[in-house]
Amino acid sequence: MTEPVLRLKSLAKRYSKDRPAIFEGVDLELRQGEYLAIMGESGVGKSTLLNLLAGLDTPDHGQVLLEGIDLALLDDDATTLLRRRAVGFVFQAFHVLPYLSVEQNVALPLDLLGCPGPERGRRTREMLGAVGIDSLAKRHTRELSGGEVQRVAIARALVHRPRLVLADEPTGNLDTRSAAQILALLRAQVKENAGAGILITHSRTAADTADRILVLEARGLHPLEKP
Amino acid sequence: MIADPGSARIWLILLVAQIREQPARFFATVAALALGVALGSSVYLVNTAALNEFGLATKRLVGEADIVIRGPREGFSETVFVDLARNPAVIASSPLLELEVAMAGRTDTLKVLGLDPFRAAVLQPAIIGEIGEGVFQLFSSDAIYLSSSAAQRLTLQRGDLLQVTVGSSSKALRVLGILSESTYPQPLAVMDIASAQWTFDLVGRLNRIDVRLSPGTDVEAFRRDLGTRLPAGVLAVAPQIERDRAITVTKAYRVNLNMLALVALFTGAFLVFSTQSLSVLRRRKSLALLRALGVTQGQLRRALLGEGLILGVIGSMLGVSLGALAAAGILKYLTADLGNGQLRTAGATLSAAPVQMLAFFFIGIIVAGIGAWAPARNAARQAPARALKGGDGNYETAARTSWRLGVVLMLFGAAMAWLPPVGGLPLFGYAAIAALLLGAVLLVPVITLRGLGLAPRTHRVVFDTAVSQLRENVALSALSLASIIVSFSLMVAMAIMIYSFRVSFDHWLVKLLPADMQLREPFGNDTAFWSAEQQTQLRTAPGVSRAEFRRTRQVLLDPARAPVTLIARGANDAQIAADLPLISAAAAPAAASASAWISEALQDLYGYKVGERMAIPLAGRMQQFEIAGVWRDYARLSGSIVISRPAYSAATGDNTANEGSIWLDPGTSVSTAEKSLRLRVGNGDALEITGSTTLRERALQSFDRAFVITYALEVIAVLIGLTGVSFAASSTALARRAEFGMLRHIGMLRGQIMGMLAQEGLLSSAFGVAYGLALGMALSLVLVYVVNRQSFNWSIDLAVPAWQLAALSAVLIAAAACTAIWSGRSALSQDAVRAVREDW
Amino acid sequence: MKQLLTLAAGMLSGWFLSLPVAAGNFEAVTAGSAIAFPKDYGSHPNFRTEWWYVTGWLRTAQGESLGFQITFFRSKPDIDEHNPSAFAPRQLLIAHCALSDPKRGRLWQDQRIRRAGFGLADASEKDTDVWIENWSLKHSTQSYAAKIDADEFSLDLSLSETQAVLLNGEGGFSRKGPEQRAASYYYSLPHIRVAGNISRGAAKSQVSGEAWFDHEWSSNYLDADAVGWDWIGINLDDGAALMAFQIRGLAGERRWAGGTLRSADGTIQLLQPAEVGFQAGRLWRSPRTGIAYPVEWSVRAGARQFQLKPLLDDQENDTRLSTGSIYWEGAVQALEDERSVGRGYLELTGYGQRLHLR
Repeated sequence: MTEPVLRLKSLAKRYSKDRPAIFEGVDLELRQGEYLAIMGESGVGKSTLLNLLAGLDTPDHGQVLLEGIDLALLDDDATTLLRRRAVGFVFQAFHVLPYLSVEQNVALPLDLLGCPGPERGRRTREMLGAVGIDSLAKRHTRELSGGEVQRVAIARALVHRPRLVLADEPTGNLDTRSAAQILALLRAQVKENAGAGILITHSRTAADTADRILVLEARGLHPLEKP
Repeated sequence: MIADPGSARIWLILLVAQIREQPARFFATVAALALGVALGSSVYLVNTAALNEFGLATKRLVGEADIVIRGPREGFSETVFVDLARNPAVIASSPLLELEVAMAGRTDTLKVLGLDPFRAAVLQPAIIGEIGEGVFQLFSSDAIYLSSSAAQRLTLQRGDLLQVTVGSSSKALRVLGILSESTYPQPLAVMDIASAQWTFDLVGRLNRIDVRLSPGTDVEAFRRDLGTRLPAGVLAVAPQIERDRAITVTKAYRVNLNMLALVALFTGAFLVFSTQSLSVLRRRKSLALLRALGVTQGQLRRALLGEGLILGVIGSMLGVSLGALAAAGILKYLTADLGNGQLRTAGATLSAAPVQMLAFFFIGIIVAGIGAWAPARNAARQAPARALKGGDGNYETAARTSWRLGVVLMLFGAAMAWLPPVGGLPLFGYAAIAALLLGAVLLVPVITLRGLGLAPRTHRVVFDTAVSQLRENVALSALSLASIIVSFSLMVAMAIMIYSFRVSFDHWLVKLLPADMQLREPFGNDTAFWSAEQQTQLRTAPGVSRAEFRRTRQVLLDPARAPVTLIARGANDAQIAADLPLISAAAAPAAASASAWISEALQDLYGYKVGERMAIPLAGRMQQFEIAGVWRDYARLSGSIVISRPAYSAATGDNTANEGSIWLDPGTSVSTAEKSLRLRVGNGDALEITGSTTLRERALQSFDRAFVITYALEVIAVLIGLTGVSFAASSTALARRAEFGMLRHIGMLRGQIMGMLAQEGLLSSAFGVAYGLALGMALSLVLVYVVNRQSFNWSIDLAVPAWQLAALSAVLIAAAACTAIWSGRSALSQDAVRAVREDW
Repeated sequence: MKQLLTLAAGMLSGWFLSLPVAAGNFEAVTAGSAIAFPKDYGSHPNFRTEWWYVTGWLRTAQGESLGFQITFFRSKPDIDEHNPSAFAPRQLLIAHCALSDPKRGRLWQDQRIRRAGFGLADASEKDTDVWIENWSLKHSTQSYAAKIDADEFSLDLSLSETQAVLLNGEGGFSRKGPEQRAASYYYSLPHIRVAGNISRGAAKSQVSGEAWFDHEWSSNYLDADAVGWDWIGINLDDGAALMAFQIRGLAGERRWAGGTLRSADGTIQLLQPAEVGFQAGRLWRSPRTGIAYPVEWSVRAGARQFQLKPLLDDQENDTRLSTGSIYWEGAVQALEDERSVGRGYLELTGYGQRLHLR
């Protein structure tokens, strides 16, 4: 049996010492090829959980094992280097750099990994083609529509073939039609180019695109009870 | 300003939010404005106090005369006075001997007024009011009264003896009393005219007569008519002109100080501009929201302008108070002349100048208003929908189109540098500097774009991202760089000018001080000199291999101008031509008459040209000289003329000298020679004897001291500029928090982001500094060749202090980069991670 | 001009009150040396101090009564005689002129002080001929011409002698104190007939009247213990003339007195100290200085007793600003048994000083 891409062991997080935990007892194993959706009510700590997974925040209790590595054992730089290689992000607010072109934005993770020039160009072009915006390569992101920008973001999240893709409400700012397209694209690309993916959303429609759905509650992650 | 309550409310909300959010920036901008206003107002106050005091002192000296007749040191016959006293149009006339008297053991001089107290009382009532019954004691031939400041300077009291030097011998005068400061604020002494004539070997001579005409007499006509009947070199002058010309001499200096204050204000305006621009950029969305909620363009514009104005009000208030305090401090603890010796009077007092202070207050507000106007207008004009959506403002486009205006201003500035002075002031020169500065700042965006376009793509993500960020936000960079460019370029220009001046001054000193030692009687004195025999004695003193002597004295060429120094030196014309630092010389030596070499000031002020003839009043006659050349003279602002000693002696019969250069035998030390020289003249201890090396060092030291204030002010201006950089950096860093957050998410190391910020900071500050350096060099040309020349009427050779500027640039680039990193650090705190959730 | 005025006035009175005992440089006044004319009309530069003094009453064509006083002083400062400068103040000349104007209730006055020399100011040794620029007093046969051109007023008077010279004291030797050394040479010309023109401001008037002329020189006028004097010169209506004075000491006591009474027929009565009595009458207090002057007097001269009444009370010269000296000098009327018998001038010095001492 291969090591899970991500394993969470009784994870707990609180905002401050004197307040009750946002959530506790979160356990999870995410296997290679899995595409998981995590749902939850607003304020339940979905984004906090995401930050813990990416090593951007530290848990108050429990462990995060990314590719079997306990993030608590790594310092900030080591975590960052691991994240750089192993994780891809898609944000609700897109977060692309307005002063860079589409191509440059997508190539950023490769640049950070020191990918050599020809390889970098090839993979960037492939990725742009994969998300269907290869014609926009030289454009600036501010000239694009929301759906197009999110395609750029998905391309950027996957261009370096990370083990784990984390998508935080990637369609929150999009209309229904664009959203459907992006969700389909994201699923396809996670399956195609990444080890595994987690989609965080409060939309049941969006969650349904995943292999399985978990609900985050104060007392841990539980499978969605089908109505 | 604020038309309706709605506007006022919006203004208040915005302002309070602004101050609460960015108190440090708000107060730093206030401080910068305050500094500019303080500098301007304190320079003004101190100058006014000095000028008032100077004017008062001059008035005390001249009294209420309608006309003052002045002659050279040796004066004119007293029959001039007798004729005037008999003239029915003259209701009062006061004969005087006004001499700068040398004193034993002192290297300074004392102004002594020999006067007839009864006649002087009519025109200068204050004197006699104070001497009162003591007037009978004043008649005793060794009696002298000192003004309180003279007594203080000489540390003499009533009853003490004052040793004065006449020729080379010493005479003792008895201090009969001390006149209060209100009688004469300046250091001087009063004697009876008869005692003065006798004491100073000038029996039968006067050199000044104050005249009061009967009411209804045409003063100007009388003065002109009188002028034609006076001996050559004796001039009838309106006292107002005397006062004015003394003030004119210092005008250029004062204007220069005021310009420095304007520089501070100029930098302050840029700071307000960039601060407001950045703060408006940062608040673009919230401002757009206000517009969306129904705030009109006008309301928003007024509210934002109001923000700038409140900065101005607070800054000006602080500045005016600070300025008054500083002025009071300067007057109390330093001299009122701000390092310029020509306005030296004692006891200048600060007088309240409410109108002028109010003017400075409003200047500060106006400057802030000007700085705040453009950002306010742009923000108000911005389409709210686009701004809300997060689109860019129209600053970029505005900045990109501004380059045409920049080019026009630059050309305009360059053209103005060629215009002549106005009323003796280089006003066009200053205008040229202002135009060049403004034009150069407007060109910053274009040149930044071009400059960054040259930056290679390295595929190093940090560097490329930094370059892209700078290119994209070129307007922002220009804003942040404007204040550092302005202040640094002015600093560079001043540094080059001062350095050039210093180098030229040093060369000049070396050229003029070829001998081992210099000796002279107290500078500017009218009474001490060496006879021909004494010169021989000095020349043959042990250890002396060679000696040359000079006779310096004042001649008045034009009553409206300060006296010119006449220097008789050199055995013949050829020697003068070889010894003087000549700027230009006639092709052929003078054939018909004796030669004269004039200083540049004489050329500029009187319009004399090489090869022309000029008349110099000597021994009561106008004597003709041919101008054989123009020489550089940094010592005498009002101008000087050099003629050979034989020519001088032929014209006047005067063989005496009051300055000399001594070459020593090999192996003789300066101190040994000094002793033997002192022994040779009867009144040796009053001789000022200095080794040429020491003299040169001392001259350079005092030169450096004179510019300390200038340097200090420049450093302050640059610090203000750096503050601007810091504001811009922290502002953009805050705006880019979400960007940094995303970069951290996708795996950019904290250090890499710092590196990116550092590279951005280095790139932009290096550019700003390089640009400022280039601009400063251009400005220095205007300062050296236009402002300096027109202000002081002497030329200096351009010299660039390369090492100094390189070091300064490096320090400044480092400082600016550090400022940028330091300011960006806050954007990298933990909540940068959360910032990705913010809508941006 | 004001300062000059106070200066000169201050010197005038300051002088008399502070003259030191004659030094070796000055010629002494001695009894028995005869006065000789015309030489003694002129200046005596070897004596410390000298004055020519005209006081009198004028009547304008409109019938206005005025008092006038013209004084030329000469003073020899104690200076180094070797100074070759033409400006050396070998002699000083001071002129003082006052016009008492009862209608306006004020005193017109002006003063000048100059060093002698260059012909601009001097005093002739040959005859009375003394001037400071365009102010002058000049003697010619039987008459004097006085010209004063002051800032606010002017006088151009012809003064004609009507009587012989009156030598005061013993043949012109006039003692001023208990010590023999305090003395002066002193002659007077009473009953001078005056005619001429005056101007006050813009107003010009033709005047005529009667005056008293004094010429006095000394090197030691007051001794050290004296503070001032009271003096009168009265032209009596019957052609007689009275000069009387008393010298007051530090405590206000009378130190010395003297006088001359010449009757219309020319008989001279030399008044010994005991024959002269000054009895102060009504006091007038100056509103400016607060000093009280006895402006009315009862003067005993030998057997006769005169009452003096001033033309106007305010004839005070205030020179406090420069020297602290203030004196009163003005036109008075002389009465005998309530009947007006003559007119003249009264001078009161040293009262300001006493105020000072208080």
